[in-house]
Amino acid sequence: MKYSAGRVLFGLALWSCMSAAFSLNLDELKRAADELKQKRDSATSELDKKAKSAGLIAYSDQEEAAIGRQIAGNLLGAAPLVKDKQLQKYVNNVGRWVASQSERPDLAWHFGVIDTADINAFAAPGGYIFVTRGLYRMLNDESELAGVLAHEVGHVVRKHHLKILQQSQVVDQGGNLLEKQAGGNEKIRNLIGNGAEIVARALDKSAEFEADRIAVVLAARGGYEAYGLPQVLQEIGHGANDDSVALLFKTHPPPDERLARLGDAMDGRFDKLQGKSLATRFYRVKQ
Amino acid sequence: MIRLLRCIQIVLVALLPISLVHAGESGTMIKADELKAEPFHDSKSVSSLAVGDKVIILKKDGGWLKVKSDKGSGWMRMLSIRRGTVAGKATAGASGLASLASGRAGTGKVVATTGIRGLNEEELKAAKYDEDEVKQAESFVTTRAEAQKFAAKGKLKVQQVDYLAGEEK
Repeated sequence: MKYSAGRVLFGLALWSCMSAAFSLNLDELKRAADELKQKRDSATSELDKKAKSAGLIAYSDQEEAAIGRQIAGNLLGAAPLVKDKQLQKYVNNVGRWVASQSERPDLAWHFGVIDTADINAFAAPGGYIFVTRGLYRMLNDESELAGVLAHEVGHVVRKHHLKILQQSQVVDQGGNLLEKQAGGNEKIRNLIGNGAEIVARALDKSAEFEADRIAVVLAARGGYEAYGLPQVLQEIGHGANDDSVALLFKTHPPPDERLARLGDAMDGRFDKLQGKSLATRFYRVKQ
Repeated sequence: MIRLLRCIQIVLVALLPISLVHAGESGTMIKADELKAEPFHDSKSVSSLAVGDKVIILKKDGGWLKVKSDKGSGWMRMLSIRRGTVAGKATAGASGLASLASGRAGTGKVVATTGIRGLNEEELKAAKYDEDEVKQAESFVTTRAEAQKFAAKGKLKVQQVDYLAGEEK
């Protein structure tokens, strides 16, 4: 009886020590998270300030999401989702995990596979990201999917497409984009045009290289093999060269150039990392 | 028993990446780089290869390919090699030739020979907003917490990695 009481006491003491250590850790974690958030906020407002000083409009996150939703709807009008719920859920799981490693982890991220044999991937502001069935079929494992999605996440995080819209003169500068109107949001429609042209617009080459560099980092942060995206680029580079890659090649620097740039930027820094490729878990499509 | 399972696991893990590279596939150096004794950047150099040098790819390990070349065998950075033998395939201008070869040129549209349509600029420009499909897409959303669980299931471990500096900035 005495013995077991002693054990309970010892256990309690140990537990309270541990919980003290744990709460200390939690405090530290919270402080680190706050600091990070502050840094992130100041970086975002810095971006907005820059946009404003250049005479551009700074969109709120809600406006960005509304713009992205409209673009996503237009893109889906051209190519609908592949009707495979398991596939769509799987892509959202992988995508949300890599997006969680970015500085915008709490955007309403959406991912999807669209039904076209074309080999491409698209990003719209606010976190709407789509890969084509043609590209998905080329992938060999989860780290490659993670790399492809992370490239698009990079575009969203750095607001590459939004900047193009900010530079366009279509919308009146004082306009409130979120104004409710009968028959949908006309202002947003005016801003982005009718189709999904914006997703097929060639970005600066530098924006593509930047998204590549972000992609390997986000994948590695998420515990994936960092070379997933480079592997896909190699495959695209020496694979099919027909109409299915025409748009991709028109709007992106050649894969060889992207690989060479990535190689320079990575420069052995990923050699010691342990990443998973998860080939067995990879969801394979039938067609 | 556990040890046996572990052994099987190790063998499986070791085999998987190799299957992605077709052993014996050829490649061409796209930039000059050192051939290393081990797949690490601080490993000792076996020799150096020049742009255009041909290699035979034997296997893969992370960002490294084990290759054989006239200048010796060793490990080369994956990103310094273009896989495959046909040079210049990855240039945009060549797509017209491919169209010609497949009998698709001239119409400006993908003829429905395969039954699958491509996604070209005209189609994207003409695309009409589809609210139902957006709602569908949104119904598959994964929360941050769900993603965390999904990652844990795959034994994915978060690693600290800083963003890479680029020339453009």
